[in-house]
Amino acid sequence: MKAVSLADITVSPAGNKTTPQRRMHLAGLESVVIPVGALLASMIVFAIFCILAGANPIGVYASIYKAGFGSWYSWQNSLLRAAPLMLCGLCTVLPARAGVLTVGNEGAFIVGGLAATAAGLATQAAPAAIMLTIMAVTGGLAGGVWIAFAAALQHYRGVNAVISSLLLNYLGLALLLQLVEGPMHDPGSLNFPASYAIPESHHLGVIPGTRIHLGLAFGVIACLLAWFLLERTVWGMKAKITGGNSRAAALVGLPLGRIVLLAAFLGGACAGLAGMVEVAAVHGRASQSINAGYGYVGILVAFLARQSPLRVIWVSVLVGAMVASGGILQRAHDLPDATVAVLEGIVFVMILASESLYGRVPLFQRVSDAG
Amino acid sequence: MSAPVLIEALRITKAFGSMRAVDDVSLTIRPATFHAIVGENGAGKSTLVKCLLGFQSSDAGEIRVDNQLYTMASPGDARRLGMGMVFQHFTLVPSLTVAENLSLARPDLPAIIHWDQHHSRIAEFLGHAPFKVDLDRRVAHLAAGEKQKVEILKQLYLATRILILDEPTSVLTPAEADEVLGVLRGMVDAGKLSVVMITHKLREVMQFADEVTILRRGRCVGHAMVRDMTVPRLAELMVGESKPQEEIEKTTPVSSSGPALHVRDLEVRGDNGLPAVRRLSLAVNPGEILGIAGVSGNGQKELVQAIGGQRPIESGDILVGGRNFHPSRNAIRESGLFTLPEEPLQNATVPGMSVAENLALRKFDRFPIAKAGFLLDRVALMESAREAIRTFSIRPPSPRVPIRSLSGGNVQRAVLARDLGSGDARIVVVSNPCFGLDFAASAFVHNHLMELRNRGGSVLLASAHLAEVLKLADRIVVMSGGEIVYETLRAHLDMSVIGRHMGGHAAA
Amino acid sequence: MQAEGAAVSGIAVALAGGAIRGSIPYIFVSLGECLTEKSGRINLGMEGVLLMGAMTAFGISDWSGSPWLGVLTAAAVGALLGLLHAGLTELPRVNDVAAGIAMIVFGSGLAFFFGKRFVAPMAPQLPVIDFGGWSSDPAIHSALRISPLFFLGIAGAFTLHYVLANTRWGLRVLAVGDAPEAARSMGISIRNKRMVATVIGASLAAVGGAHLTLYFPGIWSEGISGGQGLMAVALVIFARWSPRRCLAAALLFGAAQALGPSLQTAGITGYYHLFNASPYLLTLIVMIASCSHRKTLTGMPGALAAARG
Repeated sequence: MKAVSLADITVSPAGNKTTPQRRMHLAGLESVVIPVGALLASMIVFAIFCILAGANPIGVYASIYKAGFGSWYSWQNSLLRAAPLMLCGLCTVLPARAGVLTVGNEGAFIVGGLAATAAGLATQAAPAAIMLTIMAVTGGLAGGVWIAFAAALQHYRGVNAVISSLLLNYLGLALLLQLVEGPMHDPGSLNFPASYAIPESHHLGVIPGTRIHLGLAFGVIACLLAWFLLERTVWGMKAKITGGNSRAAALVGLPLGRIVLLAAFLGGACAGLAGMVEVAAVHGRASQSINAGYGYVGILVAFLARQSPLRVIWVSVLVGAMVASGGILQRAHDLPDATVAVLEGIVFVMILASESLYGRVPLFQRVSDAG
Repeated sequence: MSAPVLIEALRITKAFGSMRAVDDVSLTIRPATFHAIVGENGAGKSTLVKCLLGFQSSDAGEIRVDNQLYTMASPGDARRLGMGMVFQHFTLVPSLTVAENLSLARPDLPAIIHWDQHHSRIAEFLGHAPFKVDLDRRVAHLAAGEKQKVEILKQLYLATRILILDEPTSVLTPAEADEVLGVLRGMVDAGKLSVVMITHKLREVMQFADEVTILRRGRCVGHAMVRDMTVPRLAELMVGESKPQEEIEKTTPVSSSGPALHVRDLEVRGDNGLPAVRRLSLAVNPGEILGIAGVSGNGQKELVQAIGGQRPIESGDILVGGRNFHPSRNAIRESGLFTLPEEPLQNATVPGMSVAENLALRKFDRFPIAKAGFLLDRVALMESAREAIRTFSIRPPSPRVPIRSLSGGNVQRAVLARDLGSGDARIVVVSNPCFGLDFAASAFVHNHLMELRNRGGSVLLASAHLAEVLKLADRIVVMSGGEIVYETLRAHLDMSVIGRHMGGHAAA
Repeated sequence: MQAEGAAVSGIAVALAGGAIRGSIPYIFVSLGECLTEKSGRINLGMEGVLLMGAMTAFGISDWSGSPWLGVLTAAAVGALLGLLHAGLTELPRVNDVAAGIAMIVFGSGLAFFFGKRFVAPMAPQLPVIDFGGWSSDPAIHSALRISPLFFLGIAGAFTLHYVLANTRWGLRVLAVGDAPEAARSMGISIRNKRMVATVIGASLAAVGGAHLTLYFPGIWSEGISGGQGLMAVALVIFARWSPRRCLAAALLFGAAQALGPSLQTAGITGYYHLFNASPYLLTLIVMIASCSHRKTLTGMPGALAAARG
């Protein structure tokens, strides 16, 4: 991360006419206006892109809205996609708050799903609730260890966690494919290699009255717990100090390695849990299908939410709606569903660029920097 | 080869905000002379020189070259006059060879470099140069002394006639220093060069310089020809009058019951991988303030960082109350050993967090802020913060603003409130606590340190400002080159001796 | 016995050909990343650039009938993406790592978008140079059909080495990446040098991507790249930031990538996926072995080491 530069530190309140309360309100305003501005800018750029691609941007946005929020059916589609995104988003958020940036969400997701499948197949004789609990725990453990490994490599060995976690993504995928074609292979799954299936009766249920599986509840609860952990527990404070300034953390005697590893483990466990949900609620078995790409979109969610667990909740719904609109864009506007990926990319770049505006927009600053 | 010209800086003043770094200073650099500028940290030497070289514009005063008025608008102007500077930090590219570094410095380097031609040209230049260096060695593999020689060679290669050196021998052994300065002296004697040397090493001034200008707190407090000067007089001018005026009351005598903090044979490496603290031992008794005097850059920063757990220790021990100390959270709390590093915003706080959170940095995991062992009670956090803000008069008195929006003085107040306010502190290790603070803020800091001492606590104070050390310390040591070179009780203080040791001058 | 010998030599030939083939994207991306990092900036977004290069080359080759035009256009597109990355990372408080990830998302999104419109299954390929003509063995024949980009890549490595060692621009780039403060004091513009290095670097990476679609089997698909863009970053570390060593390391990585398919042609089909994962495993091991927490790696540009701290 870029170090705090002296220019970022406002010096000398002499001549400052705003009260501290007013400055705080202005600063609070900043953290709403700037991201909203970035989103608006993205929408404009994307609109230009649509025009160049031969589609009507207003129509496109209308379709996205309709596909995401137009009816109860659409809402459920969006929420279904938001569920894994919440958990995968946390996989980036938790280690990031402790100072480690990784992109291993995809790998943790897959490994979690794989481990959960194995655990589920081993315990399928037990009642559904017990089997599912064991699956969840196993999935979480596998995902947690996966990401903690990458974090350990960075902390103790200086290996860039982005690179190592990306490599682990590919290794995880290779492991998945090898196992579903090999030891876990169900001979009944002819053209499409898959593992044995867990019994239908033991699938993860839906929220009553909806089509949405309980994964959504997991996601929301995980985000709330993550928020609670970071903001209302002692450990959360330790993690934020470590991520905020590791020198200060060392000064006050915090055990940096342990904190970073636990944060990474918890994040990975969330992604692993998402993998378990994908198996237990959607596919019922492990196969290439569980490599669904939620991991990478989860990274985008984390950055859009500026690494805040509560914001992850509604950002996931928003992005889930975007993802759900791929089909409509194809049918109504003859646009490939990669259009959504383009929109995601534009938003990501704009949000990042807008980071540079914090503390620099004159409207929000009334403090003069002394020489 | 043109001779160096006469440069005069007349009545230069430069202020930053309300602080005058240079106040009405005049400096004359006569052609082919060796002129030393002497002063402590913060005396204004670097700022004066920067104005001279066009890196900064002065607020008042003028520069004359050969008796003509000259506007030094950019470093390029100074360069054209044949002025060049060797900085304190190396400006060489470590992964390139000496030849490559020398070539890179020349503005007339062709787009495609034919090294064989180029090499012979540089070798020819080296033939006339006073130092010999291996052209093909990578700078990263050179010792500090060799790097310094390359820096000087670079300036000579650029046809510099007026060479300004900023603390050139701070990384050199005495032998290397003599060699380098001796060579420069020779070139001055031959009429080829004028040298301006910023230094705090008085022996070098006496041995090599023709003239000396002494700065203190931005003003020129003396100028003389070196032949009319003595080391004691120089030291006196550098550090000021015999005894400082203010003295805070010391109520309790120093305890003699064994040291509270004992540093034993400590070895610590600096950022460049070289030893910064060499087999250093010191002890601080209960009810005592031990002051470490010395020009910054002699290992004080690294020593404090090592005790604070921010820098690894190569060898040696830190003992608190006779027992080995490793800065884990529990050990810090049990021993009451708190470290306050310099530049507190960067090194002792989390700039993005609020004042309240920073105030709780040492105690958020204990009752009353921690409840049931793992929960964080934000209400208690705020309460405690408001209490501290009130007691320590932190401005603005809002616990929620991010701490980086506070002025330097208030950041230091917050850090002090955090570490001294709880009463848990028994030993405080502090480095340059008043850097950048105004008079009121400094007095505040000093009072709190003295209060701790009077309560029977111990303070290890490292400061580049001798006046601060003299004001507070019961016992004073001087740190130079990573070692303790002198120790004295305040009562037996001899200013000129201290000045000499700070000036790197071992014996009287 | 003879059958076994033939099998082994069959694997060896397949491996050699595969190594050469597979090394080409690695060569170009690693050279590009090497130049960028020498200037003191890390570009993690090369994966997106690679994909855009692949897609552009395919599309332009299909549309114009000229594969070389495809390569040139890919280089131009890569340069534009490099400009975007450079601009983004120059902004204050923008995290270089996050910017790289954003570029991957953006670049791959664009590539998949435009790629969807491709109707033709195959675009005009780059002419291959047939080194195996002397042999009657079809396996050797196919193994030694080498793309001209391979030789361009070799030339590129030696050119980059020359430029960094013998030109004023190259020396200044090295200065900017190793000791930015020293460079600044010499009046060298850090921002300009880094921008140009990033643009050229991304352009090279895009050419590497072009190889993926303009060489047998010459199809475009979304899975055409397997993370080579990011592995090249590890490759540069492994090669200690030397262009010529990057060349050698690229051949090694290409060989690792060819391991799975080579074994398959010899009839060894077990553990197929794990063999295919060997480049990733190799990269991981290389990273773990090369990096160290405390000491800086020899050859690492100073500005990168400082940013890591």
